[in-house]
Amino acid sequence: MNMLDIRNLTIEMDTSNGPVKILDKVNLQVGEGEIHTLVGESGSGKSLLAKAILGFINPRWRVTADRLWWNNRDLLNMDAALRRQITGRDMAMIFQNPNSYLDPNSTVGEQLREAIPKGDLRGTFIRKMVDKRTRVVRLLHRVGVKDHDQVIDSYPFELSVGVAQKVSIAMAIAHRPKLLIADEPTTAMEPSTRQQIYRLLTRLSITQGMSMLMITQDVASVMPDSDNVTLLYCGQLMEAGNKQAVFDQPQHPYTEAMLRMSLRDTDAVEPKTHLPTLPGAIPTLQHLPIGCRLGPRCPNAQKDCVMVPKVTRLKQQSYHCHHPLAPNKRRKSAS
Amino acid sequence: MTALLDVQALCKYYTHKSIWRRQRKVTALAPVSFTLERGETLAIMGETSSGKSTLAKLIAGAENPSSGQLFLNGQPLQRGNFRQRCQHIRMVFQDSDASLNPQLTIGQQLAEPLLFNTDMNTEQRREAIAQVLKKVGLLPEHASFYPHMLATGQQQRVSIARAVMLDPQIIVADEALAALDPSVRSQIINLLMDLQKDMGISYIFVSHSPEIVKHVADKILILHRGKMIEFGATQTLFEQPQQQYTKLLLQVPAAANN
Repeated sequence: MNMLDIRNLTIEMDTSNGPVKILDKVNLQVGEGEIHTLVGESGSGKSLLAKAILGFINPRWRVTADRLWWNNRDLLNMDAALRRQITGRDMAMIFQNPNSYLDPNSTVGEQLREAIPKGDLRGTFIRKMVDKRTRVVRLLHRVGVKDHDQVIDSYPFELSVGVAQKVSIAMAIAHRPKLLIADEPTTAMEPSTRQQIYRLLTRLSITQGMSMLMITQDVASVMPDSDNVTLLYCGQLMEAGNKQAVFDQPQHPYTEAMLRMSLRDTDAVEPKTHLPTLPGAIPTLQHLPIGCRLGPRCPNAQKDCVMVPKVTRLKQQSYHCHHPLAPNKRRKSAS
Repeated sequence: MTALLDVQALCKYYTHKSIWRRQRKVTALAPVSFTLERGETLAIMGETSSGKSTLAKLIAGAENPSSGQLFLNGQPLQRGNFRQRCQHIRMVFQDSDASLNPQLTIGQQLAEPLLFNTDMNTEQRREAIAQVLKKVGLLPEHASFYPHMLATGQQQRVSIARAVMLDPQIIVADEALAALDPSVRSQIINLLMDLQKDMGISYIFVSHSPEIVKHVADKILILHRGKMIEFGATQTLFEQPQQQYTKLLLQVPAAANN
C-alpha cells in the first residue's frame, strides 16, 4: 500500500518573464517500508519536492496536485495546523549541510536531549535526566558515533561534517518517524561511513517499517538497498521504476548518460582518458527550454522534442521520452 | 634529478588551552614525507578528520607547519613567503561559490594574482585573462560577469582559471569535485586532465571518491588519524592494498549497486 501518493504535482513560480513551472507534473509513490531514491542534478527540483511533501514551501508559489496523500489523507487541502501536526509526528528530514542547521550556540548533547520526545520518559526528575542521557548515548551509538562523551560536549563547529551528519540523523530518528526524507545525507562522507549510514538506514526501514525518501544527485550514491528510483531533470520526470530494472535496462537517454558518468564500472574506462559527459550546462530557471527540458543536451533529440513527451509504461518502469534508446543499445548497456 | 615537490617530515599539531584541564596537544598530522614528480597526480585519501585537508593546506601555505620542511625543485619553501609560494602552488576549493568574491567581477578576481605577482600593464593583463578564460572553456566576455551570474560548473571553471593564472607547477584541489553535479564533474575532470597535458601541472587531489581517484591519480597517499599508512601507485594500491583500512577506503561502492 502506498503511504505517500503524489500525482501530477506542479509547482509554479511567478517571475518577470511570466510563470515558470519549477516542478512539472511529477508522480511519486512510496510504500510502507520502501526505500525510494530520487536522483537529480542541482536545479532539478528534487529538494523542492521534498519540501512540498513536508509543506514548507514559499507561500507565493502555487502548489497544485491531483493528489498529495499521506496515509490516505489529503495533505494539500488540510487545515495547516493539522497538517503540521501530522507531518511533525510522522515525518523527519535530514538536510545537505549539517553544520548549517545544527544550533551553533548549544552543544550537541543539549540538542539531542531536546529531540527526544517527552512522552517517552517516565519517573522522577532525576530518573528522567538519567534516562535522557542514556537515550542520547544509545542514539549516538546507533548512528555509529563511538566516542560519545566527546561528541556530546562539543559544539557543532568542532565536529567534522561526517560526524555532524550522524548527529543530525540521530536527531531525526529520535521520535521514530514513519517517513524519513534524506536530502543528500552522505555527500560529504567517505565510502566506509557512507556504507555504515546506508546499513543503518536499511536496518531502520526493516525493523521499524520506516519508509524512506532518499535524495541524491548521483547514480553512484543511490543506496544499494533502495527498491525504486526516480530520475528528475529540471523539474521533469525522466524515468522511474524498480531500481534494478531502470539500471539494467535504461530506456531514457538521460538515465543512460547518468549511469555512464557515474563511473560505476571503473574498469570500462581507461584511466586518464576523457570521460563521457553531456554537453552544455544545466539550464537556469529563467531559460528553461520548452518541451522536454533535456532537449538541448540530449544525444537523441529530434524535432518533436519541443513537445512534452507522454509517459510510456513498461512492466517495472516508466519513462517520458519521444526517442527512447534503441533495443540493441539497451542490451549493450545492460551487459 | 630532484623531485618537483619534496615533503620532509611535515607535521602539525594544535594545543587546546583550558582553565580546568592541563593543555592538550592534538596531533592533526604526524610527520609525513613523500615526493611528487612533475606532471604527476597525487591523491590524498582518508576518513574525515584524518588530516587530509590539513596536509593540503600546509602544502599550499594556508597554514604553517609545526615542524618539517617543503622543497620545491630542491629549494626550501619558507613559511610566510607567499610571493614565492603562490606563483608555484595554487589551490582550488570545494565551494566555488564561497571562494569567489561576490563583489568583484570575474575579470577583477583573475587580475588580482597578476597585480600582486607580475608587472604587467592593464592591456597585458586583459590579454592574459582572456587567454586563460578560453583555456578553461569560458568566453573572454565572462570577464565582466559577477560570480552569481554563473552556474556552479562555470564558477568552478573560474576557480581553476584563477589557479592556472600564474602558470603554477602544482595545483592543490581540496575536494574540488565533490560538490559538482555528475555531468559537470566529468566536464571538469576532462578540463583538468587537458590542462595537465598542456601545461605539465602536478595535481594534489584531496578526495574521498575512489572512482575519481582511480581515474585521475598516479599515486595515492592514505592518511589515517593523521598518520600516513600507505603511499604507492594507484594500480598497486587498488589491487594489492597492504592495510585493511586502505581496502575499505578504496572499495568502489557502486559494486554493491549491481
